[in-house]
Parts: sequence; C-alpha cells; structure tokens
Amino acid sequence: MQKFFTSIRKEILVLLRDREGLALMFIMPLILVVLITVLQHKTYQNITEQQIPIVLINNDNDSLGNSFQQVMEQNRVFALTVVNEADSIAVLNAKNQVANGDFQMGIYIPEGATNAIKNRVINTIQKQMPESIRNSNPEKDSIVNIALFFDPVTKESFRNVIKGSLREFASRLESRIIFLTYSRVFDALTNQNTDLQMPDHPTIVFEESFVSAYKDGMAPNAVQHNVPAWTLFAMFFIALPIAGNIIKERNEGCTDRIRTIPVSPLLIMSSKAMVFIFVCLLQTLMIFLTGIYVMPLLDLPQLMPGHSIAGLLLIIFASAMAATGFGIAIGTISGSVVQASTFGSVSVVILAALGGVWIPAYLMSGIMRKMSALSPMNWGIEGFYEVFLRNGSAADVLPHAMKLIAFFVAMILISWKYRRRKTI
Amino acid sequence: MTSKPLITIQNLAKTYKGSNEPAVDNIDMTVEHGEVFGLLGPNGAGKTTTISILCNLIQPSSGSVKINNLGYSRHAREIKSLMGVVSQDIALFPTLTARENLQYFAGLYGLPGKTAKNRIEEALKRLDLWEKRNTAIKKYSGGMKRRINLLAGILHKPKLLFLDEPTVGIDVQSRRMIFEYLRELNQKGTTIFYTSHLLEEAEKLCSRVSVIDKGRIILNGSPSALIRSTEGSKSLEDVFIRVTGKKVRD
Repeated sequence: MQKFFTSIRKEILVLLRDREGLALMFIMPLILVVLITVLQHKTYQNITEQQIPIVLINNDNDSLGNSFQQVMEQNRVFALTVVNEADSIAVLNAKNQVANGDFQMGIYIPEGATNAIKNRVINTIQKQMPESIRNSNPEKDSIVNIALFFDPVTKESFRNVIKGSLREFASRLESRIIFLTYSRVFDALTNQNTDLQMPDHPTIVFEESFVSAYKDGMAPNAVQHNVPAWTLFAMFFIALPIAGNIIKERNEGCTDRIRTIPVSPLLIMSSKAMVFIFVCLLQTLMIFLTGIYVMPLLDLPQLMPGHSIAGLLLIIFASAMAATGFGIAIGTISGSVVQASTFGSVSVVILAALGGVWIPAYLMSGIMRKMSALSPMNWGIEGFYEVFLRNGSAADVLPHAMKLIAFFVAMILISWKYRRRKTI
Repeated sequence: MTSKPLITIQNLAKTYKGSNEPAVDNIDMTVEHGEVFGLLGPNGAGKTTTISILCNLIQPSSGSVKINNLGYSRHAREIKSLMGVVSQDIALFPTLTARENLQYFAGLYGLPGKTAKNRIEEALKRLDLWEKRNTAIKKYSGGMKRRINLLAGILHKPKLLFLDEPTVGIDVQSRRMIFEYLRELNQKGTTIFYTSHLLEEAEKLCSRVSVIDKGRIILNGSPSALIRSTEGSKSLEDVFIRVTGKKVRD
C-alpha cells in the first residue's frame, strides 16, 4: 500500500504543478457547458415551449374566423396577433412583417368566409328538398380564399398542421350547418320546434402521456441534455492530459526507470487512473453545481439531478473510468504528444458526435441511432437520462455502467498488451 | 570455493524487429562482485541494447542473463530490488522538487518513511544539493540534475548499480563530485556496471572494461593491462581507436 500511496501522491503533485493543464481540465469544460447550453436553449425551447408568432387577419368576424381565432388564442404554442384593418393594407403589412421575421406565419380569413360555407351547404341541401319547401331565391355559391403566408424557414409539417386545422374548422362548420339545416327541414315537415343542438363535447378524446422515454413527463431541455452530455465530453477530453502525462514520462525516461524498480506496472497504472478518475468526479461535481445553481441565474432551466443518488454516482464513476482508460490507451499507444493530441481530440469529437453529445441520439435517423449505440459517450448519456429524465434507479443505470466499465477494462488490457509487445 | 559472478551473460543476442543485423551478437560476459565494470564502444555498438537487456527493459532474442545467479523469468522482483539504474536521460519529474522526486523513488523501493527521509537528507547534503532541495528540477542546472538523477537510483543502497552515460553534458566540478561519490559507493560494496563514450573517465573509474563493436565483445581486461598490451598506446582512447578504427560511426 505504501507504494500505491507514494504513486498517488506523485500523480497529485504533478497534476497540481500543471496550472495550464488544470485550467484546461476544469475551466474550459465549464465555459463549454454554459456556452453550449445557452446556445441550444432556444432550439430546445422551439421544440418544447417557445411560442410561434402568428398574425391573423380576421375579416370574417363570424363562426369560422372567430372560432379559429379563439382556439389559436387558447393554444400556448402560438403567440397570436389579430389585425382588423382594410383587407389589402392588412394583408400587405402582414406579408411584410412575416418577410421581416416578426411573424412565422400570416393567416388571412376574408370577409364572408363563414357565409360562403353556409350558402354552399344550404344550396346543396336545398337541391334535395321538394320544390314546395325549396328557397325560390337561393344565394350564389362562392369559393372561400383563405390566404396563408409563411416565413421560408417554417417547416412543412407546421404548415400542414395549420392548413389541417383550418380545414377541420371549415368541416366542423359545414357539419354544424348541415345538421341545423336538416333539423329545420325536419321541423318544417313535422310541424315541430325541437331546437335540436349539435353536442358541443367531442366524441373522441385524446389522452396524451409520455411513455418509456420520459416516464414522469420530463422531456429533455437544454440543461438536462447538455449538462450530462458535455460533462461526458469533458471527461473524455481528459484523455489528452492523461496521454500527454504518460508520453512525457516515457520520453523523460521515468517510465523506464520505474520499470527497473520492483513495483507492479498495474499499481503504477491504477494509481494514475485513480487520480484522473477523481479529477473526472471533481469536473462532474463542478459542472453539475453550475447546472443547479448558476444556470438558473442565466435564465436557463435548473438542472434536476433525479432522485437516485446511487444511480447517479454509478454512472458518473463508470464514465470516469471509461474516459480514463481511453486516455491511458491513447498515451500508451501513441508515439508522441502531437500524435496523441491529434488522435485524442479527433477521436473524442467523433465519439461525442456519434454518442449524441451535440445532437441527442433520439433525434438521429435510424442508422445513426444504431451507430450511436457504439460510442461509450452514448452509454454515458443514456445512463444519465435514466436518472435525470426517467427517474431510474441504480439497477436501471447498471447495464450502461457495465458497458463503460467493460470499456475501461478493455482499454487497460490493450495498453498492457501493447506495452508488453514493445519489450520484445 | 570461488563465489559466483554477480552478472553472468551467456550467448546473449538481440535482433530488433525489421532489422537483419543483430544489435548484440552472441556475447558472453561476467561481472564480479565489487567490480567497476565499463562497457565501452562507439555509437551503435550495442551498449544500450546490452544494458537494456540487463535491466529487463527489453527481451533478448536468445541467450541468458543471470544476476546474483537469478534469472528474470522467475525472479524479476528479487533482481530489481538488488539493482539501481541511472540512465542517460534525466529520468525525473521536472515539476517536482528534488526532495519530492527522491521521496517518490524511495517510496517505490519500499523504504520506510523515516529511513527514506534520513537517506534523502544525507544524500542531498553529500552532493551539495540540500539548499536547493525544495526547488523544482526544471530550474536546476545540468550538473545538479545529473546529481539528483544519480541519487534517485541509489537511495535504496543497491548491490548492483547500472550507469548509462551518467556524466553526459555536465561541468567538471559536477563530474568530479559524481565520480568521488561513485568510488565511495564502490568502496562500500556496490558493484558498478558502467557505459560511456568518455574513455578518460572510464580509465579512471573502471577496474575492468570490455569494448563492444557491432554487437560483439572485441576486447576485455583492466584499463592498465589493455594499454600495456596494445602496441603504441598511451591511453584507453588509443586502445579504443586501435580496435574500433578511426571511421566515424552514425
């Protein structure tokens, strides 16, 4: 044990004397996490909570226009601005405002839109009626032109949703008019006054809930995704200082000197790993505390670290082990610091991109999602999601943690084999 | 009954992967207890390969090495605890102080805290480094670094000390101090295995030398005997030039 503690003490001293390295390991990840979270916050808001600005020119002022306006006003997704001006000016102004990016969309419902629908329905029904009760002076059929104008960045799906909603309102209006007209005809034929109304409540009710991915209704926001994702990125970036440390010691001749001392190489390696795992734990603690206490001050959501401390510690520790193992392997295999830093940084960026650090894996296409499962960073992120979003326990985290620990063991074995091969 | 040599090398050969020429070509050699043995040779002669095999840093292609009658395959730990190694490189941690470096190596050799502390203090004072004990190695001069490099290999009082070019690039005063200290260690019973380009240094320090060239031992004996037996030679350097030639080596 004395040799182990001696080695740990040395690693700590070497680390503490490298101030630039310490800044890289602690301050840079912190800046990165805060910066990326702030940048991505808007994107996540677009997905989850940011309102879409829409301008509505409601010149109909009847059933279609008013009910559409009412529903749009009640929907939290839209920030509705209603304009009541003369038609041509209103439409021109609205188009300019959409073009300037003030609104994502403009909707123009012309005067008489409801009447046009009513007339068309009544005329159609009238044709089925006996001559005796048919209106001798029917209104003329006309087509309703509802103008929609969009910002070019507006998604096709969103445009379809709006068009679909308007069609639904028009159909609902048509149904209501058909119902009322037939009801009146029926009353006229039977000489009654039933004053029958269409039921207001819908027949089909949608019951929505998050299943599997977000059990308790917590969808990932910028903080819940970026804090663990970029913590993992920072952890894996520790591969660079570890590799640099190993290569420097090798170039300085310290590694060879240690190999002539009766001490197990595994002890030397494990003491180095232990210190860097501790560094990863400190990094995580610092970034998480920033997520909990600092990010809300920047108008960002607060990090909710879930309810399973054991699960959280397990995934943090396993991720730290995997990152450290990766660094030891790079340091052992690389021939120079330049080689290690080039390969190390590029491979970490690739693993991060693949693992869903930038773009979460659940937003990736099918094949990329499958490939994402090959990256240790993805195992880490999934582990954090278990705790942060799915309220998972240590048992839920265990499969992801086991993969990370297996990765660590594989990296150490590769390093050990490579080092042995070098002496032959 | 005669005691067995401290180092016995038999038919030792090493050919590196991808090379046709052997770096060490079937050498036989012994080093007796208490000797200061010098392995001399031009660049690329096989000195570093030989010393690396002796220190178990690389594996030989064939042949055997025994230290204190023990082989590395089964007794690596015991052999390592007998020996100290001072390499040509300054194998120290530059950001740590002299004392921290020595504490680290003493700790790895398993020296108990108090013993390590006393030996470090004694050694630093002996080599005139006590005042600078808390200065980072990177701020030391070349000579000071060499002295600490030597101390890191001898704190555990090894029976056998390997020195690979221990005085390269240092001033006369530091070299003299190191030499005096090495003689002192030898007088206390430490066997020294030494390689160098500096033949004048070897002549003064070594009780016996072997000259290696192209992986083979071509000369062996005490410096004075070799000078005497080589016609027209006044120094070990003359002997060396006579046997290895004047051609510059890469």
